[in-house]
Amino acid sequence: MFDLDVSDETAAVVALCHSLAADLLSPAAKAGEQTASLPDAVRLALFETGLTVPVEEAFGGGGRPSCLTQFAAVEALAYGDPGLTLAVVWSGLGASLIGAVGTEAQKEKLLPRFATDPNARSVVALYEGHGRSPSESATTITSDGSGSWVVRGTKLAVSDAATADPVIVVGVDPVDAILRAAMVKPDVAGVKVGVPERHIALDAAQLSTVSFDTTVTADALLGGPGADPNALLLAVSQARLLIAAAGLGTAQRAVDYASKYASERVAFGKPISAFQGVSFMLADASIRIAAAKVDALALASQIDSGGVDDLERQTTNCVNFCGVVATQATRDGIQVLGGHGFITDHPVELWYRSAAALASIDFDPLCSAFEPAL
Amino acid sequence: MALTFALSSELQKHGQAMKEWSAAEVRPYAREADRTHRPPANWREILDLCPVAITRHDRRDVLPVPSFSDGKWIRELHVTEALCYGDIWVNDVVGQGIGHLTVKLMGTVEQIERWYRPIVEHGGVAAFGLTEPHFGSDTSMVATTATRDGDTWVINGTKMYCSGGSNADYVVIFANVDRSLGAAGIKAFVVPKGTPGFIVAKENEEKLGIRAWQTSELLFQDCAIPLDHQLGWRGDDGMDAVGSKEQPSTRSGRGGALGALAQNKPNISAMGLGITQAAIDVTADVLKGQRLGFTPRRWSQIENEIERMNVALERIRRVNFGAQWLLDRGLPNKSEASVSKAFGPPTFEKVIRRCMMLLGPDGTSHELLLEKWYRDSKILDIFEGSAQVQRIIIGRTLMGADAGRG
Repeated sequence: MFDLDVSDETAAVVALCHSLAADLLSPAAKAGEQTASLPDAVRLALFETGLTVPVEEAFGGGGRPSCLTQFAAVEALAYGDPGLTLAVVWSGLGASLIGAVGTEAQKEKLLPRFATDPNARSVVALYEGHGRSPSESATTITSDGSGSWVVRGTKLAVSDAATADPVIVVGVDPVDAILRAAMVKPDVAGVKVGVPERHIALDAAQLSTVSFDTTVTADALLGGPGADPNALLLAVSQARLLIAAAGLGTAQRAVDYASKYASERVAFGKPISAFQGVSFMLADASIRIAAAKVDALALASQIDSGGVDDLERQTTNCVNFCGVVATQATRDGIQVLGGHGFITDHPVELWYRSAAALASIDFDPLCSAFEPAL
Repeated sequence: MALTFALSSELQKHGQAMKEWSAAEVRPYAREADRTHRPPANWREILDLCPVAITRHDRRDVLPVPSFSDGKWIRELHVTEALCYGDIWVNDVVGQGIGHLTVKLMGTVEQIERWYRPIVEHGGVAAFGLTEPHFGSDTSMVATTATRDGDTWVINGTKMYCSGGSNADYVVIFANVDRSLGAAGIKAFVVPKGTPGFIVAKENEEKLGIRAWQTSELLFQDCAIPLDHQLGWRGDDGMDAVGSKEQPSTRSGRGGALGALAQNKPNISAMGLGITQAAIDVTADVLKGQRLGFTPRRWSQIENEIERMNVALERIRRVNFGAQWLLDRGLPNKSEASVSKAFGPPTFEKVIRRCMMLLGPDGTSHELLLEKWYRDSKILDIFEGSAQVQRIIIGRTLMGADAGRG
């Protein structure tokens, strides 16, 4: 049966996130970017919601949201600002992964801290560029034959790895080609955390390159040596989808902002929304967002119900489509504002930059092709 | 008979030398110019290093830019792309604005002698002020006023996005002499630098891109200028200063403004070609070093994409040359110039965006200039006539004045 009725709980979460987006994130967006850091007020307020650092009730948290709910939450928060949203969300992804994949012992040992300490951070080192999906990672996590595990590889776009404990590295075991994750401290020998580089946007998340050539004990292997690779794939796919969620929230904000502007700005004797060259451009953006959103929600639902055979490929396609939609919608947002869109008095320029940064993180050249605009 | 799409070998050599200089000497300052919102302090020395003649408005002792058999406007396209290949900041310090072009289109013989010739012959900057906070595309909405007071015009109003507005020798601004006439009351005026009441409200606006370009917000508060500073002014009796009676200019103030913009439209596309070609070349170069990181299928897709992006730029170049070839022959190119302005810029954005994405998470980092060029490129589809306005012009050429009315 086709049913798009979200639960009351999800609806309440979305409403809460929309109000946080408007009251907290949107006003703090510029400061977050200028200082390249997450303002404490934002971090604490989002921590209180329990959505960004999700921990199960058994370990003192408010429960782990479904993929669908988390997707909707991140989309709504990113409507306020994607950079701040992801800076917080990424700092809680490690806790999510531990909850989803960890052994009972790992959960008991690690999760209570994330439930109570708003300063506790745990990030996931996932992306490598080159269009690679997680199962194509060049990062390896493999047994050294004497009870320890060797983690080797380089990860890109890791958010503030230096203050994370642990950093969870996702890689592939070359012995049996299964996906594994290892918990590593950022300050041990063999882990090099690069200085965060400024990017076109998302600077509050302090992205840097982290390289690993280190050994961990078996209990640092997430879920242990016999961890369920499917559980890890589901959790990793959920994490990847959050970039798509942030992109769509940003795109929707740009379209809404430009639509309001177009209804108010007068040229040639009428609001510019009266011109099809303007209104159709925003309508097209809106159509693409709607399509991308059902795509993403379908996938999120599948993740919640245990996944599908080609989950990884579907995730890649979905994230990449959302990237195309968001970059196009945000450029259209500027285009509608014209010269005003190009100066920093209006925030559309920030969304244009943010969408480009988001779309580059988990990009696979095989999902889309370059086409000239005309 | 075969058509020729090639440039003369002289112009090609000239462009190649400029392109190499721009990549070697201009590009290293791109990040700093973006960060400080101004050209590097030593920009004059950087221009001195250019091995071929270049327009200089800061020096009068340099060789003039040579002529080529290709024509002036074709040369400008080629030179503009080569110049911007290093980075687009340099265009602003070389550029002379378009105020003098307006003088040439709308001025009397005497005004052309006074304000156009010195700029083209000896250098200098002539800014242009049309846009106001409440309008851009609809130029009939000029709210700045010019009120006759004895022997002067008194200007009041605000102009924004004036390139070079804070350092130009003069700015040509558009103001209404009689608002009861509506758009027909809009005339152009030359306001020299330093005129009392000509205030630079904001030297450089805070922008997404082309941050080193000085685009100013200008304020005119009871700014009085002599009557003969109105372009096309022929005295109250219709006589010009030397007593000869010319045919009154048939161009309205708006017509002149739009005419000056129209000539420059393909040059805007040429600027974009410079940074977009640079983006492709930098990306191809970086990716070459990462080849082993890609699967063979992805690598083959990347090679294919780079090729198709280059093909797209080559097509844009031909469209631009076609438009300006007409101008070089003294033929009208209104629609062709609009085609050129509408065709290139949105593709520049898409190419640079794609380049960043091909490079992955590092593609948007400040370590590379791609992210800057992506920000710079966005203005090209907006200033001097957005893609939407160009479509109205093209549509009206096809379908008459009703096209694009709603």
